[in-house]
Amino acid sequence: MAQRLSTLSRLMQLGMVAVAVAGPLTGNTTWLPAALFSLFISEVPSLLRRDLKLVLPVELNFWIVLALFLHVVGGYSGFYDRVPGWDHLTHVMSASLVAALGFVVVVVVDKYVDSIYLPRAFLAFFIVMFTIAVGVFWELMEYANDALAGTHLQYSLDDTMVDLLFDTFAGFIVAAAGANYLKSTSPDHFVRLMNVEAAKGKLKGVKDRALGR
Amino acid sequence: MKLDVQWAAFGIAALSLLVLPMISTRDPFRALPWEMALMLVIPIFLHISAAWDPAEGAPKWWNDLTAIAFSMSFATVGFLLTVELQMYTDVRMNRPFSVLFVFMFTMAAAGFWKICEYVGGLATGDPTIGDNETVMQFFVWALAGGIVMGFVYDLYIRAMSDSRRKTLGFMHLYEVAIWRNG
Repeated sequence: MAQRLSTLSRLMQLGMVAVAVAGPLTGNTTWLPAALFSLFISEVPSLLRRDLKLVLPVELNFWIVLALFLHVVGGYSGFYDRVPGWDHLTHVMSASLVAALGFVVVVVVDKYVDSIYLPRAFLAFFIVMFTIAVGVFWELMEYANDALAGTHLQYSLDDTMVDLLFDTFAGFIVAAAGANYLKSTSPDHFVRLMNVEAAKGKLKGVKDRALGR
Repeated sequence: MKLDVQWAAFGIAALSLLVLPMISTRDPFRALPWEMALMLVIPIFLHISAAWDPAEGAPKWWNDLTAIAFSMSFATVGFLLTVELQMYTDVRMNRPFSVLFVFMFTMAAAGFWKICEYVGGLATGDPTIGDNETVMQFFVWALAGGIVMGFVYDLYIRAMSDSRRKTLGFMHLYEVAIWRNG
């Protein structure tokens, strides 16, 4: 399973490389920056693993690459204009990604900060809240981008509101999945699987070196 | 007559927050601090007053004012949540987290409010939500109000005098005021 997911991730990265190469060749460079940036982001989990020894769950890795892949390759293929609901699909992907990353961060914070304790039910509530809040923030960024750079990211009110509606759904799904996951796995175990302890040591080393200790 | 379901729901929620401490302690003098009650009531007042001239509708600055007051009111609910979660559940937050929580709550509440308004408008066939611009303005105020009020409530709880905290003891403001820096 894990092996298959990482092979799929590699294939999707290859797809993004293809967009980055095909763009300049065909004279359509609109998606070139997005492709390069997405390739970099999709490599971040590997960088974390190499330099900090931090291991993100395989499923999360896969999800990150899938979201970027759909955005870049779909965008290059003109799916945003041609496939109805493509925009909403990628919104669900990115919102669930944000929710999942929020989940990981909050579980780690819960474990490592003594003055914070977040029971499972509250965690689920927080994830939903976090996802809607980020969704609103996202729409504000699109709005600002349209106003300042003259782009056309927000089509209409209906479009914006349906985006937010899908963000909310994604938040609920990830919150339910996360709470369900923690039913069978303790937060301690989850944090151990990610090897956060080693990452913490590494980070401390980096900090000490930066401060010249 | 038009029934403003959403605002009625908000009004009822605000009212229950106000009387909840009185009921739970059975003491009529243990209400919310007056400034918080005011924060909850101002947007309702502004909203109903906007209909003083139904033909013209309220001017833009009035709507902005309502949106600002409303975002501060969401933040107030978020802050009350942090305090009451501390009081009634096992949830523990520290200062930075609670500031973040108030901010996130304000943004999420604003988003949720607009989603409800949108879906409600579709359901009744009588949309009140306005255009994209209006909604974005509302969110901008929620963003600003959330950030400001997150810090304001942190300062508020630190600046409150001990005697007042004791009088309002129902909220465990005492405990929250000594939140450790995590």
